[in-house]
Amino acid sequence: MSKKNSLKFSIVRAVAALGIALAVAFLLIFVSADGATFGAKLSNSLSALQQMLVRPLFKKSGKFASKNFCDILAGMIPIMFTGLATCIMFAANQFNLGAEGGIMLGAFITAVVAIYCPLPGPLLPIVAILAGGLAVAIVMLIPSVLKAKLGVSEMVNSLMMNYVIMYILNFLMNSYLADRSKGITQTYAFRKNAILPQIIDNGSRFSWGWAIGIIAVIVCWFFMYRTRWGYGIRMTGINQPFVMYSGMNVPLIIILCQVIGGFLAGMGGGIEMLGRYEYYNWSALPGYGWTGITVAILAGNNPIFVPLAAFFMSYLTKGCSLMSTNANVPAQLIDIIQAVIFLFFAAQQFLSGYRQKLVIKSAQEELAAKAKASGERSDA
Amino acid sequence: MNIFTTAFFFSIFRIATPILLATLAAVIGEKGGVSNIGLEGIMMMSALFGSLTAYWTGQWWVGVLCAMAVGCLEALMMGFFAFRLKTDIILTGTAVNMIGSGGTLFLVKVITNATEGKSFASTTGLITKIHQIPSWNIPLIKDIPVIGKVISGHSILTYIAFLLVWLTAVLLYKTPLGLNIRSVGENPNAASSVGVSVDKIRFITIGIGGVLAGLGGAYMSMYYAMGWSLDMVAGRGFIALAAQSMGGGEPLGSMFAALIFGFAQALGIKVSATGVDSNLVAPIPYIVTILALIVFALIQRSNEKRRHERALS
Repeated sequence: MSKKNSLKFSIVRAVAALGIALAVAFLLIFVSADGATFGAKLSNSLSALQQMLVRPLFKKSGKFASKNFCDILAGMIPIMFTGLATCIMFAANQFNLGAEGGIMLGAFITAVVAIYCPLPGPLLPIVAILAGGLAVAIVMLIPSVLKAKLGVSEMVNSLMMNYVIMYILNFLMNSYLADRSKGITQTYAFRKNAILPQIIDNGSRFSWGWAIGIIAVIVCWFFMYRTRWGYGIRMTGINQPFVMYSGMNVPLIIILCQVIGGFLAGMGGGIEMLGRYEYYNWSALPGYGWTGITVAILAGNNPIFVPLAAFFMSYLTKGCSLMSTNANVPAQLIDIIQAVIFLFFAAQQFLSGYRQKLVIKSAQEELAAKAKASGERSDA
Repeated sequence: MNIFTTAFFFSIFRIATPILLATLAAVIGEKGGVSNIGLEGIMMMSALFGSLTAYWTGQWWVGVLCAMAVGCLEALMMGFFAFRLKTDIILTGTAVNMIGSGGTLFLVKVITNATEGKSFASTTGLITKIHQIPSWNIPLIKDIPVIGKVISGHSILTYIAFLLVWLTAVLLYKTPLGLNIRSVGENPNAASSVGVSVDKIRFITIGIGGVLAGLGGAYMSMYYAMGWSLDMVAGRGFIALAAQSMGGGEPLGSMFAALIFGFAQALGIKVSATGVDSNLVAPIPYIVTILALIVFALIQRSNEKRRHERALS
């Protein structure tokens, strides 16, 4: 298929997938909307939908909602990192779902370093975040080495590890690290110099972590598309026997991509911690890992599209939370919308009939162009 | 303190039942070449609708039937995406699990808001003793000392689950459908070349899995716990996948694997009763899963090695 038609197909397909997701969302909003009559319900659900889609960016008066916009950008930070982590692991066909536990562990380790290590100035946040990333990278050795050496499913292992991480961290919090002077389980406050500065200080917690995320995106893209190892990772996902027979170390690639993924997830947790909080108080898995999977699917496992996908997901999350406060539709609608988008985006055969038509059309165009060219040559 | 009381062994079966039901779903799925990681989400969804219908109708068995139907429907929907639209089956399963986590909470809030006039975040307040799946004291056996106390008095679904182990084996090895399922799992091209409709068999496979997972969900919300609450299945659908591979993909072996998980968890509950932090005890089943997978892989590997050596000598 020609490049133009191929692009056209991707766009049509993306729009169709989003359209279906919005239609499902509207249906669910309609069911849950208040109102006695059909008309009242319809108008209520339309206003709820408007809350979700427009209000994140524009106030009721039509003015640009800068605070909400900052919230959306700030919300991108953790899911950019889990999205990148998932991109790199999924690109090699390693269905490691451990970004969820990874981001929690990274946040925890970073928090501990930020509380207890008396390092000077900007050295502390750097060390703390790297420590968080490193810890998760090491933990990810478990599923990856088991997969590479014994063929144990990395998916089941990483899922199990999410639960193990959560409970062990909760145990450590309850038994050793909690600040007993507080009513809820939380650690002592981070050292002042650990906290990441804000880009815009308006309470959105839009920290410089966002810029680190963008840098990470660029580095990951370069790694995946401009280095030998990145090529190896992508090729392993496309055709593993080919990589093996061309002499690359497949087990090492399998381990490498998951360790890198773990490092990114851990870093994301650390940055989220130091950018948004003053102390650690997570007691359950935060869900960023799952959103990260959606981000990776939307980005087609290409790091460069991760910011766009993360912005989109963050926008929807913000929209859903606005809708739940203003229109009485539960915010968990986001999970259903996410799943629907996800299913249609990952569907290879979705709109395959249309794709077939485009393929035929571009083949015919090519043939016509060729015939014309050869006709001109014979004329001359 | 004596841990190994009759009550302890009784609890193994009680805990293992939902895992066993999901494990059977995984066994049939893997035999048919369908690795269904959405079992977790299917269990959540059917647990929710099972408990709600039981509450609405006041009949536990209507709830169980509804849970089965919901499980089947959701599994078929997965099948539609995976087999027709060619979404990767693992991603399809992940999406189902997403819906099973946050999506169920959305649904329960919306539904209770519509029917009860107030949105609940769980159905634990609605389900009472009368909606519970009844338990069965087996005549004669219940009077046998020790054994009677362990195997009598379980929920009906527990007995059905163990009966289903046998039925699954019969289905897979003694029926034409089972042969088709296995052949599609083994080599879909070969199966299709002799006129088996691969897609149809896959839909049947995943559908049966959905029904079994639905039963597991019903057990969770209508017997194990009273009512549905967020993330109540807590990874049992995933543990089932591990039990399936530990049991070598065979119904009987997987049953023992499921019982091992039941044992691990029952032991954990006992230990936490002695005052150990529950956060240390709760991860035990998950750690056992990882260890069990490793041990199973090592055994399989050494078997293979021995086979190769024998072939060479």
